[in-house]
Amino acid sequence: MMTFPERIGRFLLLAFVWAGLAFLTIPLAIIVAVSFTETEYLTFPPQGFTLRWYEQFLADTSYLDSIGLSASIAVASTVIAILIGIPAALAITRSQLPGMKLVNTIFLAPLILPTIVIGAALLQYASMLGFARSYTALLVGHVVIVVPYILRTVLASLARFDQTLEEASLDLGASPVSTFFLVTLPIIKPGLVAGALFALIISWINVELSIFNATAALMPIPVKIFNYVQYAIDPMVAAISAGTIYVAIVAVVLLDVFVGIDRVAAPSK
Amino acid sequence: MRIRNGWAALLVGVPLAFMAAFFLVPFFVVVMASFQTKDGAWSLANYARILGDSYYPSILYVTFKLSLIATLVSFVIGYPIAYYIVNVVRSRMARRICYILVIMPLFTSNIVRSFGWMILLGRQGLVNTTLMTLGLTDRPMPILFTELSIIIGLTYILVPFMVLTVAGVLQTIDKSLVEAALDLGANRFVTFAKVTFPLSLPGVVAGSLIVFTLAVSAYVVPSIMSGGRTVVMAMSIFEQYGSLFDFNFGAALAVGLLVVTLVLIALYLFFIERQPAGRQAVRS
Repeated sequence: MMTFPERIGRFLLLAFVWAGLAFLTIPLAIIVAVSFTETEYLTFPPQGFTLRWYEQFLADTSYLDSIGLSASIAVASTVIAILIGIPAALAITRSQLPGMKLVNTIFLAPLILPTIVIGAALLQYASMLGFARSYTALLVGHVVIVVPYILRTVLASLARFDQTLEEASLDLGASPVSTFFLVTLPIIKPGLVAGALFALIISWINVELSIFNATAALMPIPVKIFNYVQYAIDPMVAAISAGTIYVAIVAVVLLDVFVGIDRVAAPSK
Repeated sequence: MRIRNGWAALLVGVPLAFMAAFFLVPFFVVVMASFQTKDGAWSLANYARILGDSYYPSILYVTFKLSLIATLVSFVIGYPIAYYIVNVVRSRMARRICYILVIMPLFTSNIVRSFGWMILLGRQGLVNTTLMTLGLTDRPMPILFTELSIIIGLTYILVPFMVLTVAGVLQTIDKSLVEAALDLGANRFVTFAKVTFPLSLPGVVAGSLIVFTLAVSAYVVPSIMSGGRTVVMAMSIFEQYGSLFDFNFGAALAVGLLVVTLVLIALYLFFIERQPAGRQAVRS
């Protein structure tokens, strides 16, 4: 039973929370809405309905190149981060090697260190070694910032599951390697999928790191939008931005379908 | 399955080498460069230049002021959302919808999200036209390209991080404690103030630390939402690296930003630790 003041309190909480959720949603909805306007300039509410701004940006190959570059970096950095993250997670949780706590801290540090500092450091370092402003420089930077997302979810999955399953597999004569592929990997897969999706997205939306090592010919799409918006804002850049919002929607839906978004958002112990 | 030390070293070797080569060493290079002049001589000149006049201290001040306000506002908006998702919503479907609304912005680039606010806050934007229709103002208010618009933009980026961190902790609170308080006659306000909120403090501490660090190092939001009229540290650092090519001075700015951030975080944790309810929060 709730008393009258408690009902008022609950009502106020509800109103405040939905205002907060609207605050989170409206700016994205606005971009999508204005991307369909028939006017030459941005206006809200949008006038009429047209797809010409989408056609215009799809016809400009430099945008497609940027999207291709971003997708390629996102996929490559996530794959490398998985290849780095899983062995590291196994060593951290399943061995008594000294110093694993420090190793864990090193892998998670890019989460806390300002991305802009990591970007600056990589540009300076790559300049010294002669690979500044190259695909390699962009790629290794993205690996560094997405590794923590993979490692965290894999560590959580490894810590949670029943290790007797692995022992049973070993007792029945499977080698440690086949035990990993037949028992361990399938069990940690949901955590790995969630981590990988986060990693893909973190790379896909990054500006702060990429901007240091980007060039006119090698420009991930968020950096390209960033440079564009500083000089002009028009319906075409709204259409491009809306395009990246659709990618976000697809990613969130995939996450919900495959793993359950509430499990990813706040994993219960 | 126990992994023998030899195999474990083999497993962790390559990943660790990667992180050393592309994270630890580059970071070390930056720290070293900050103590060198352009011709490679060791010196404190870069740091002396930062503190030499009021320009960089005032940029540091603005950076931390805006970050602090944005962190506070993110807490005020984010905590109720987290509380609502974990403790009020009953159906799993509604909870999922809330999470989707919180995570969707997180999956969109900072630049796209700031662009949304540019459209909303401009002279002819939705916020100004609404204010004028309501008769609250007769002229469009200058909101875009002010410190206010930077705070709005930062808060918008940061709220999801606060919600997810706080919700993660709220979820682990034993519901029977709340029921016990209610059974013993406390109303819901008292129960929240004396039971739920103190137990959720670790989430608030962790959330505010994440949000504050992100705000301090934010580059895209301040550059877009300030229109270049306000400068924050991240913008100065990028200017040195990206257009002035003074890597040594840029490095000193980056190290300076990092050191001041770490000192503030240490002070914050020290202050929290001195409060009776906060001790637990810091330990966990």
